[in-house]
Amino acid sequence: MSADSEWAAWLAQHAPALLLFARQQTGCEADAQDVVQEAVVESWRRQNDATPPPLALVYATVRRRAIDLARRDGRRLDREVAAHLDGPPCWFDSGVDERERNLLIQRAMNNLPEIYRNVIMLKVWSGLTFAEISEALEIPANTAASRYRYGLIELRKWTKEVFA
Amino acid sequence: MSEKEFERYEAELRGVAPAPLPEHFLARLQAAKPEMQMKERRPFRPSDEWQSWSGMLRWLGPSTALAAIGLLAFRAEMTPGISAKKQPLAIASGFKADNVQVDEDLVSSFDLVAVSPTGQPVRFHCRQWRDQLVATDSSHGVKIEQSNPRVEVVPASIETY
Repeated sequence: MSADSEWAAWLAQHAPALLLFARQQTGCEADAQDVVQEAVVESWRRQNDATPPPLALVYATVRRRAIDLARRDGRRLDREVAAHLDGPPCWFDSGVDERERNLLIQRAMNNLPEIYRNVIMLKVWSGLTFAEISEALEIPANTAASRYRYGLIELRKWTKEVFA
Repeated sequence: MSEKEFERYEAELRGVAPAPLPEHFLARLQAAKPEMQMKERRPFRPSDEWQSWSGMLRWLGPSTALAAIGLLAFRAEMTPGISAKKQPLAIASGFKADNVQVDEDLVSSFDLVAVSPTGQPVRFHCRQWRDQLVATDSSHGVKIEQSNPRVEVVPASIETY
C-alpha cells in the first residue's frame, strides 16, 4: 500500500471518531477541525518508521491541543460555544429516520459530566481498550472502566425513550 | 442495569456511527499528509571537532592523575611543615617511577534520550569509566595507585523530521 493510500485509509477509518472527540473537547467546529488536523499530523510525524501512530497517542494529542487552545483563547472559545448552542454540527451520521434519535444522543452526551463523556466516546466510538483510554486521558485503567460503567448508566437514563 | 442490558445498550450505541467528515475538512486533511517515507537512519558520524574533544577527554583522567602526583611531590618538596626528613624514604629521596600503567575499566553503559532546544529527540550513549594509574618505583618499593571516575557521553543519533 502506498503512503498516500495508507494515509487516506487511516483517515477514513479514524478521522470521523477523532473529529467527534475533538468536537466534545472544544465545543467549536472550526477549533475541532484545527485540533484534529494538528494532532494527526503531529502524531504521524513523530513516527520514525512510517507506521500509523498508536490511536491512544493521537487522542491524547487531540486532548492536549484542545486544552492548550482553551487556555489560549478562553474568551473566544466561550463566545463560540455560546454561538454554537443554537445549531451545533450533528455529531452522528443521520439519515432522516435516525436524525431525532441521534440528536437526542448528542444532547444526552452533552449533558454527561466530561469525565464520563470522554471515556464513553473513546470506548464506544473509537474502540479503544481501557488500557489505551488510560493512556489517552492520563487516568488509571480501573478508573476508566468504572467511569465507563457509571457513564453508560447515566447516559441510558437520558436516552431511554429511543433505546428500549 | 443488568449485565445483559448493559451489553445490549453498548451495542446499540455502537450502531450509531460518528458523522462523516465534512468534505472540505476531509480534503484539507488529505492535503496535510506529512512526509511518511521511511526516514533514512543515518549512523551518527562524530564531527572532527567532537573527535578532537573526545580524544582530549580520554586522556583527561590519566593526565589529571599524573598532575596530582606531580603536585604532591612539589608540595612535599616546598612545604616547610612537610620536610623531606619527615617523609618516608621513598618521597624524601625522590619518587622515580620505573613502571607506569594507565588503564581504564568500563563501569556501566546505558542510553539516554534527550530533547534538543529545537524539540528534536537526541539519543546519547553514556559510559562510565574508571581511569586507573599505577606508578611503581621498584628501587624504593613504592607503588602509587590513582583512580578517577569518568563519564563519556556520545551522541548516537539525531532524529530529524
